[in-house]
Amino acid sequence: MDHTREILTFQFGTYANYVGAHFWNQQEANFVYDGESSNVAEEHLPHNDILYREGVNDRKQATFTPRLLSVDLVGTLMHLPVVGELYGNYLPLATDQTADELQKAKELAEQNKLSTHGELDVRQQPAATISEYQQDLLKNTVNTQDKDYNLAETCSSWADFLYARYHPRTFNVLQGMLQQPDVQVLGSHCSGVELWQSAAFNEDFCDRIRLYAEECNGLQGFQLLFDIDDGFGGLASKCMEHLNDEYNRAIFALPLHYPRNMSYAKADTRTSRSIRVVNSVLSYKHLSEQANLFTPLSTLETIWRNQTLESRRMPGVNWLADNLYQSSAVLAAYLDTVTLGYRLRQTPNTLLSFCERVTPANRKLGAAALALPLGMQREQDLIDFLDGPDGSLMTQLTPGCDPGTTHVVQSVVARGIPDARLKRPLEQAGSQISKAAYRCNSVSQMLQLYYQCAYHSSLTHAASTPLPLKTHLPFPYEIFDASIAADGFKLPGDGQRERDTRVASAPALAAVQNSSKLGTHLDSLHDQTHRVQLAKLRNFSQVALERDEYDSALDRILEFRDNYEDSHYL
Amino acid sequence: MASISLLNPKAEFARAAQALAINISAAKGLQDVMRTNLGPKGTVKMLVSGAGDIKITKDGNVLLHDMQIQHPTASMIARASTAQDDSTGDGTTTTVMLIGELLKQADIYLTEGLHPRIMTEGFEKARDKALEVLDKVKVPVEINKKNLMEIANTSLKTKVHPTLADLLTEVCVDAVLTISNEKMLPVDLHMVELMEMQHKTDTDTQLVRGLVMDHGARHPDMPKRLEKAYILTANVSLEYEKAEVNSGFFYKTATEREAFVRAEREFIDQRVKKVIELKRAVCDGTDKTFVLINQKGIDPISLDALAKEGILALRRAKRRNMERLALACGGTAMNSFDDLQEEHLGYAGSVYEHVLGENKYTFVEDCKNPLSVTILIKGPNKHTITQIKDAIRDGLRAINNTIGDKALIPGAGAFEVRAYNELTLFKDTIKGKARLAVQAFADALLVIPKTLAINSGYDAQDTIVKLTVEDRLSPELVGLDLATGEPMKPTDLGVYDNYIVKKQILHSCSIIASNLLLVDEVMRAGMTSLKG
Repeated sequence: MDHTREILTFQFGTYANYVGAHFWNQQEANFVYDGESSNVAEEHLPHNDILYREGVNDRKQATFTPRLLSVDLVGTLMHLPVVGELYGNYLPLATDQTADELQKAKELAEQNKLSTHGELDVRQQPAATISEYQQDLLKNTVNTQDKDYNLAETCSSWADFLYARYHPRTFNVLQGMLQQPDVQVLGSHCSGVELWQSAAFNEDFCDRIRLYAEECNGLQGFQLLFDIDDGFGGLASKCMEHLNDEYNRAIFALPLHYPRNMSYAKADTRTSRSIRVVNSVLSYKHLSEQANLFTPLSTLETIWRNQTLESRRMPGVNWLADNLYQSSAVLAAYLDTVTLGYRLRQTPNTLLSFCERVTPANRKLGAAALALPLGMQREQDLIDFLDGPDGSLMTQLTPGCDPGTTHVVQSVVARGIPDARLKRPLEQAGSQISKAAYRCNSVSQMLQLYYQCAYHSSLTHAASTPLPLKTHLPFPYEIFDASIAADGFKLPGDGQRERDTRVASAPALAAVQNSSKLGTHLDSLHDQTHRVQLAKLRNFSQVALERDEYDSALDRILEFRDNYEDSHYL
Repeated sequence: MASISLLNPKAEFARAAQALAINISAAKGLQDVMRTNLGPKGTVKMLVSGAGDIKITKDGNVLLHDMQIQHPTASMIARASTAQDDSTGDGTTTTVMLIGELLKQADIYLTEGLHPRIMTEGFEKARDKALEVLDKVKVPVEINKKNLMEIANTSLKTKVHPTLADLLTEVCVDAVLTISNEKMLPVDLHMVELMEMQHKTDTDTQLVRGLVMDHGARHPDMPKRLEKAYILTANVSLEYEKAEVNSGFFYKTATEREAFVRAEREFIDQRVKKVIELKRAVCDGTDKTFVLINQKGIDPISLDALAKEGILALRRAKRRNMERLALACGGTAMNSFDDLQEEHLGYAGSVYEHVLGENKYTFVEDCKNPLSVTILIKGPNKHTITQIKDAIRDGLRAINNTIGDKALIPGAGAFEVRAYNELTLFKDTIKGKARLAVQAFADALLVIPKTLAINSGYDAQDTIVKLTVEDRLSPELVGLDLATGEPMKPTDLGVYDNYIVKKQILHSCSIIASNLLLVDEVMRAGMTSLKG
């Protein structure tokens, strides 16, 4: 069957939309338009039709938009109209002719007899502020080379740096829930569940899923990004249930933790922590039942009890630990790289096979690891780089666990390593020829061999593409160290990149890993539950969380944790 | 000093008169916002959001939803109004107006020292009396097209322009009458599908006695138009799902895997074959055609096989459309193809496809005895369609309410004027200060005709005097003619309101107003959530 194997993506929650915005920006940065020459061979590019749909808008222009459904609070869309910008049905406020347009819209409505007696009463809210980057984008004068938009500090929502444009079906704004800067409005898992069940939301949202699914010839599954710290976890849980009932396809879920401690209405620090834990418990229960694979992501080292907000560190990059814009870019880089495993043209892999490969014995919780940039030096060959000092190549992005180096099942994707940099040709090989890896003819083969040697009795599936991660605007290029060259490789010695050049692309390595050691992640969640006094959580008692429901979720997690006992695997 | 401040020095609080003032000012504020919406002459608002989203509405409920109300009291009133909408579909603006006015009137007496408790007791008595009046003045109606047209028209005229309202009235009444099948019982409004099409103008909105679906065939060779079609509705997957086959545990060799895949594929092919067999059995040799509408997916290979037979196949139909199709065309929705018979099939005179940009629509029309219909809403843009959709929903609810009540209330403020007069008389039978409250309640009711008059450009006092005098003289109810500003008989002009709507309003308004009056302390305490 040669038809497209589509994947539908969901984003529930503000942070999920941050990560999603970076993810879609990355997709569009990698588009190759007709007539453009690309130094990456066709078959190494991602197959865009998997994630994107073609359409026609009312002005008969062709559109290419993500197969995406996004849910967020009121106010996070900033200057973006809910219907998207491609299909009309809104007033372009950024232009000078706004008053004219408004008048036209008003007259049209009056002609259409919408008013009971002629006149319409126009009430205009003040226009939303548009970030400098978006303004330049509208004028088509974005300067990715020199201009410093300072997005890390100025960006107040993901809409500020979104380069991609969405379909009118994409946005779902939760009416009546206005975003607040320091309090999570949709606080508890239960309120998310309740929201899903409300007729107003449910009918419309399920219909949108159906319309997307109807377009697909060979829907292979769903990717879900959602905030697990708040009520969006409940929304996502119910959504997964719906997807399994109706469509029965693979689900790859990525619960996201905010890189800061969220607070909730009417809750102090202590209660907030309990709410977070309970939200996670309830979400994990659903994830372990509904998803095919779930990989919690966070740039924090641990969650649930991380008062000092200890963040992960990656060699070569430095991001502000609690900056949403920068940290979400790191997570998006991971997501984009690891999903290439099933998105490349001509890959035989499907989302389902990808998920099943790393979830032996029902161990549906996987751990994420990323190396960005890879750490290879300029002029260094992969064969020499892998032969370098011991230690893990990658940094964990799943909080509170480390899969170790033995009995690991993993799926690794490398990107941005050109074939020429694999090894030297025979005549210049020198000492390389004595290494076992010299037999390997591709990056993926070499990685496979590397992990065979480095990880004891493990199973690795490696894939690779020479396509690097594009790190120019709106990606936070400023997070790279000065020791990283413009092409993302490490400068030899103490070399420094010239001050005004920016890193435009970078090689990366990402993996989903699974091993018995992941059980510690579930243990640490379970440990936290001892501190929770359910009766005290007013947030939960309001939207009736039954004690039984909570207890059964806890039991379910213990049961799920048993899958990670050594004896359960082979 | 409130006792709370002993326990929590940071607590904010307001007591007695101050607390009351907060509530009253909130209610009044909300009333001011909604005032201009009331009645056929109220203004329609076009809301433009900060990002350029347009919304045109007059529906109090939509406005309230959109305003993001933060004030606790105002949001409580707004919620009451939303509840009103949920249960009856109309009267949201009236609810807000009346609550505001009740508090305003009460305020006058409260400042003179009347205790809120006496006030609320009076309100209760007045409400019971008003309900009594409501029962007395209700006009029992025969459920026929003319009466339903009148009630729907009154409701719709308050939402859109009269010419459009006339068109929509016809559409709504026909829709309900068609599916009620002359039983004259309230119908399941879910069986009226509202389908939107961004196309032409809103006066092209029409009733389709059948079903319109928002998707079409996904195969280029499938027929675009079919006559005399058998309809097979099904919830059977016709796509090959590679579920679990991939994991590599099941087979040892590649050929084994191939065999597995083929067997799986065969399974789906069998299903498709069953449909094709049935099609051949019922259609071959006749001029009949065949349509398959499936709730599950159909993959390209199955589509191809079906297209070769000239079958029009639709995939991923709405779950609710399964029920609607069975009602519109007859037949049964099938969950398996094991025992397919001709009697399971529905029938439609014509099935055709309409393409609009990237959207496809499939019309299933000319059904023999449709018990489910579609209102096809057309308009040049999204916000027009949304507004018409809201109006149609309310129109349908009004019709359904009438069928349920089998009675109507004369509109145009007539009931409020009569209730005012009756309450003024009733007041004298009450002993003590509670009679003041009854008077306040009576005065508050007049806000409806007053606002109607103001919105139409007439003098409020003038109108009220004319109406109350006229009402005392006439045994029949007297309402305000918005065209002339003179009193008139609503029954003559066919201006009616729903009984249930008025009843609901009286109940909810007096309860909310009483609750707000009895509040003697407002405090904001509890744990601070602000990083501390």
